[in-house]
Amino acid sequence: MMSAQVGNKIPDGSFPYIPYTPGLADGKSCGVPSKVTTDDWKGKRVVIFAVPGAFTPTCHVSHLPGFVSKYDELKAKGVDVIACLASNDHWVMSGWGRVEGVEDKILMLSDVDGAWSEKLGLKRPDGRTKRYAIIIDDLVIKSLEVSWHALFLSQIAMDTALMRILGGKG
Amino acid sequence: MVQIGDTIPSATFAYIPYTPELEDIAACGAPSKLSTDSWKGKKVVLFAVPGAFTPTCHVSHLPSYVKHYSELKAKGVDEIVCIATNDMFVMSAWGRANGTADKIIMASDTDAKFSAALGHTVDLSGAGFGTRTGRYALVIDNLKVVVLEVETNPSAMEVTSAEHILSKL
Repeated sequence: MMSAQVGNKIPDGSFPYIPYTPGLADGKSCGVPSKVTTDDWKGKRVVIFAVPGAFTPTCHVSHLPGFVSKYDELKAKGVDVIACLASNDHWVMSGWGRVEGVEDKILMLSDVDGAWSEKLGLKRPDGRTKRYAIIIDDLVIKSLEVSWHALFLSQIAMDTALMRILGGKG
Repeated sequence: MVQIGDTIPSATFAYIPYTPELEDIAACGAPSKLSTDSWKGKKVVLFAVPGAFTPTCHVSHLPSYVKHYSELKAKGVDEIVCIATNDMFVMSAWGRANGTADKIIMASDTDAKFSAALGHTVDLSGAGFGTRTGRYALVIDNLKVVVLEVETNPSAMEVTSAEHILSKL
């Protein structure tokens, strides 16, 4: 059942993650687990991009670096929070974020069992999240791009989402 | 529960073979499969960890095997394999983050099947991690278990470290 539509309120969610601290930069220490909940996003503009897996082709090569490089522009457009979501656990998400040098720019969140994505109708049969980008304003979905195809067309979906935000349409 | 003297269960692990281009962490590599059949006639050290990039595993376990690689090879070990339930892309990246290069095969025990056949899994569903491999180490000689060490506390690393396994070879 698809509940993700523009104008809908997002479902409640709670995502384990490891907050960035400068000590994590050397990649050897592990950090302290914490949680982000959708309540934290009240009154905020949030961009989330979800990927089927950390460190996998397409995800690793294209998406995360793209959002890192556009960070300043996104903040200038009033985005309060940028988050990357996958069903990998929070240790893996933290490791991936550190390998890509995201620091505190992007929250690397774990969608445990793909449960939140599932509430949006965006979980794959294999248990992973689909590839999607969602813009949320005060908990309401303003924009949603879902990639129904792998690889090539998924890059178009992500670029569209970025252009939408940066073009002020989101 | 597997015992010393048993033949290991047959299994196939997904993994990404190391190639020099993978030194660039952005490169993803080409998926492949590692079968226990390939271990016939070989001496293999296999160690399993509950999760890639997690404390204990990350800070002490994998690095201990990287550090003692030459000594393990000098004792006649043909192959060193690290398994966890994480997928092969995560295992490949974790290996590269620890400088394993071609020294340690970082493989995926999908759904902990091989570990379950050995009787060594741990249920971490309460923490949202699902079923993971236990923390154990095996020395396998021509498909027979000759050394078996299991951490009774999955967060500790005492009998499954490279140093301890070396003392058993």
